[in-house]
Amino acid sequence: MGIDRRTFIQLVTGGVVGSLFTPVIWKSLDDASIWSQNWSWIPRLKYGAITEQASLSKFGASPCAEIVKSVGGSPYLTKGNGENEMSKGGVDPISASGPQLMYSPSRINGPMKKVGDGKYESISWEDAEKMLSEKLAAVKGQKGKLAVVSGDNTGTTSEVLSGFATEMGSSDCYLMPSEEQGAAVALSSMGGKGQIGYDLDNADLVLFVGADAMDSWGPVVRNQRVYSESRPTGGEITTKYFYAGSFLNNTAAASDKWIPIVPGTGAIFCLGLAFHLLKSGASASVSDFDDFKTLVMSRFTPDKVEKAIGVTGADMAAIAKQLSSASAPVVVAGSEFGAGAGAADVIAASAVNMLLGRINEKGGMKILPNLPKAVESAIDRSELAAKDFAGYLAGIAAGKVATPDVMMVYAANPVYSLPQTEAMASALAKVPFLVSFSTFMDETASTADLIMPNPTSYECFEDAQTPYGVGAAMLSACAPVTEPMYNSKATVDVILSVASGMGIDLGYESAELLFQAKAEKAGADWDSLIEGAAFVSDSTESGSIKFAASVLSKAVSMPKGGEIAFAPYSKLINGSSTMAIPPLNVVLVSKNELYGKDLLVQVNAKTAKKLGKSEGAKVKLSGAGGECVARIHINEGVMNDVIAAPLGFGHTAWDVYSSGKGDNISKILTVSTESGTGLSVWTSSFVSIA
Amino acid sequence: MQHIEFDTKWTMVVDIDKCTGCGACMVSCQAENNIAPMEQGSNKLKTLTWLLVYELNNGKDFPNREVAYLPRPCMQCGHPACVPVCPVVATTKDEEGGIVSQIYPRCIGCRYCMAACPYHARYFGWLDPVWPGGMDKALSPTTSTRPRGVVEKCNFCHSRLLNARERARNEGMDPNKLPDGWYKPACLEGCPTGAISFGDSKNPEHKVHELIKDPNAFRILESIGMEPQVYYISRRDWVREQSDNHLAEDKH
Ligand code: SF4
Ligand code: SF4
Repeated sequence: MGIDRRTFIQLVTGGVVGSLFTPVIWKSLDDASIWSQNWSWIPRLKYGAITEQASLSKFGASPCAEIVKSVGGSPYLTKGNGENEMSKGGVDPISASGPQLMYSPSRINGPMKKVGDGKYESISWEDAEKMLSEKLAAVKGQKGKLAVVSGDNTGTTSEVLSGFATEMGSSDCYLMPSEEQGAAVALSSMGGKGQIGYDLDNADLVLFVGADAMDSWGPVVRNQRVYSESRPTGGEITTKYFYAGSFLNNTAAASDKWIPIVPGTGAIFCLGLAFHLLKSGASASVSDFDDFKTLVMSRFTPDKVEKAIGVTGADMAAIAKQLSSASAPVVVAGSEFGAGAGAADVIAASAVNMLLGRINEKGGMKILPNLPKAVESAIDRSELAAKDFAGYLAGIAAGKVATPDVMMVYAANPVYSLPQTEAMASALAKVPFLVSFSTFMDETASTADLIMPNPTSYECFEDAQTPYGVGAAMLSACAPVTEPMYNSKATVDVILSVASGMGIDLGYESAELLFQAKAEKAGADWDSLIEGAAFVSDSTESGSIKFAASVLSKAVSMPKGGEIAFAPYSKLINGSSTMAIPPLNVVLVSKNELYGKDLLVQVNAKTAKKLGKSEGAKVKLSGAGGECVARIHINEGVMNDVIAAPLGFGHTAWDVYSSGKGDNISKILTVSTESGTGLSVWTSSFVSIA
Repeated sequence: MQHIEFDTKWTMVVDIDKCTGCGACMVSCQAENNIAPMEQGSNKLKTLTWLLVYELNNGKDFPNREVAYLPRPCMQCGHPACVPVCPVVATTKDEEGGIVSQIYPRCIGCRYCMAACPYHARYFGWLDPVWPGGMDKALSPTTSTRPRGVVEKCNFCHSRLLNARERARNEGMDPNKLPDGWYKPACLEGCPTGAISFGDSKNPEHKVHELIKDPNAFRILESIGMEPQVYYISRRDWVREQSDNHLAEDKH
């Protein structure tokens, strides 16, 4: 047995006390430090000029405008860009490690084709494009043969994809499900056009219903900045924040008041508030006001609401009173985990905003125009946002919808992030030719037949139009900060070149020209965009919206109760629907969410007792679509009869930082159809626990 | 114990009521200071995070539960417990401004300083740092990399102080009287909610000079007299009340 480092140090430091005055000890300590700090490989720091360049991070759930610091041309750090309205300075915990993500071990080095199950072979871009062109040529002009899905709601790249799909004769171009989907369907049900936004900046009371604005709803960083500006350190609070949801998440923690409500009952909560507003005389000159009033006064009376969501009539009345006495209140509804809430919640929250007279008012709910399209044949942005990809795939899984021959997936990871994951993944597996335009080797890329890696937004031109939730139409863009690290090619350039080879003219020759044209059409100055400023338009859509009472009457039903409700939540620390846990975030993951390889789900002590489970107990959660294993963590920040569970774990692809950790709770989310809108929803999923 | 005072006192003030626990500060700190990514994060005794966001709660059952987040860097104490216990003088508080330094090549990894620090602000490198897949190309030029076996800690992004002083010298100003906002740590720059303020609390022109006098300002474990240079502000009574024993209540 040799002397190990610890014994050595004990010996040496033990001797220190008595021998501080002899030089021998100093010499040997010096040697000890040299000896103990020997490492085989010492990374060299790069020296050189430190430069800063504005950029756009598209790593997180919402685009984040940043300043990227580089040393000798290599990016190493980011900070917020205070000059940019889209995120107003500050970064989110995914974007904060953007430069490190550029070198992530899960980056895809170059185009690859599948040669066997899980086996890939590198090919040249020329061959990759040829392969894609051949497959596309075979389906050109045939309906139902080509499907496209994009995980980038804000970029003009999605316009190129949807324009291309249209020119190919396909009507199956989708965005991945997000908050925006429910809002788009809600707005069209209410007879409006454009995009819903919220002017949080000028509100004096913000009520978030479900919407986890500080971590997963809308433009998270911007929400945090606006929140922060209204409560200066050491100063007076100027805007109050209330949060209604089933779990004490980051938004609830930061709010002045947390109102616990059963998961998936945001619409009932809002209509319960509408009851009190209507009772005190609120009205709106909208065609279906009478229908709406009848609906609310008969079906959302305080006793019924209390039974459904657990908030007493007196509490509801008090909240309604606070809303009506605030000078600039606004109600924002959304899902607690960034997708799957349907349209009813947004319609119901809009109804409250209408009763409060807050539509298109300063500090209220805004109906924003879509910026002009750059690609003529592209589907209108609101229309695209409203399309239901989860419904389409569920149709394929059930054999009700024909499987397309080719599916192109851009910046999205549907194999991992859709509800009822296993069924959805099996539908994707049926597609004979799946193409992944991904930056990282995610679950979808690792099953694709062809992988065409897209560079990160630091390595190419990018843009972002009006992220869902911001209070004004806007546009940001960026130029590359650095040369592409790997053999990647911007998806826009791939599509433009493949399209032109097939005789389809999308109007542009390169990504840069496309983004420039978009800026020009919007009335923005391209140069100032790529220098970091956002273009902001102050216009709103004219024309009023109605209550969509008939939709509400079908879409909102009272929960049966008596079951354990499932409340998924999402935290950027644990990644997003497109990004696994970034390497630098691993140490941030809470030990109450992941312990070793085990996922932890949260219930309060009362619910735990009811379930007969104690802290740390292993449980099996089953939903319609699958099963998950987890351990119980007791957390009094969860309401009674609710089990809260974090998304973002259980990756099977990616890298050592995220793969094989915990379980993916999307598996057990149950997709159902919202009556009245036909949209796929999965916010009220019930699980059985064993 | 001798109280070490300088004309400048770099001070951080964290507004707990504004922190949403998002973690952007922790990631920014890791990127700025070349903290290598770790494959496993659950063993909080072995993870390296110079800044740690603790989750505090008011101890009440549902529905009265409240949560707050407390980001904890090194407190750069006026009476640093870690300094006198170091047998090799690898850690000192002798620079103008009061930042407690840690000299890695001299550290022998005995961890006496870790045992002495009541704020758990010091971290031992248990594992060889590894930056896979070329991630070492994204190393920051500001902080040297450390091998396993030494103790590390937040140094208020010391290199940023050196840069700010250099800028002052270049512009013909007194490097020891930096204007407010010239020296900003990485965590502050990353924080989207502006929860972190930073400056010289002895300089009336710096915002923190006033902030530390706020009636809601406090320091953690005030009673043990370490004189931290990190202050917290919260309007919530229960948060302030926990400040003297929050370690018993915390969880992460
Ligand atoms: S001051 Fe610098 S080193 Fe200290 S916690 Fe903040 S970022 Fe990390
Ligand atoms: S970045 Fe700011 S808000 Fe986020 S956890 Fe850190 S201190 Fe809190």
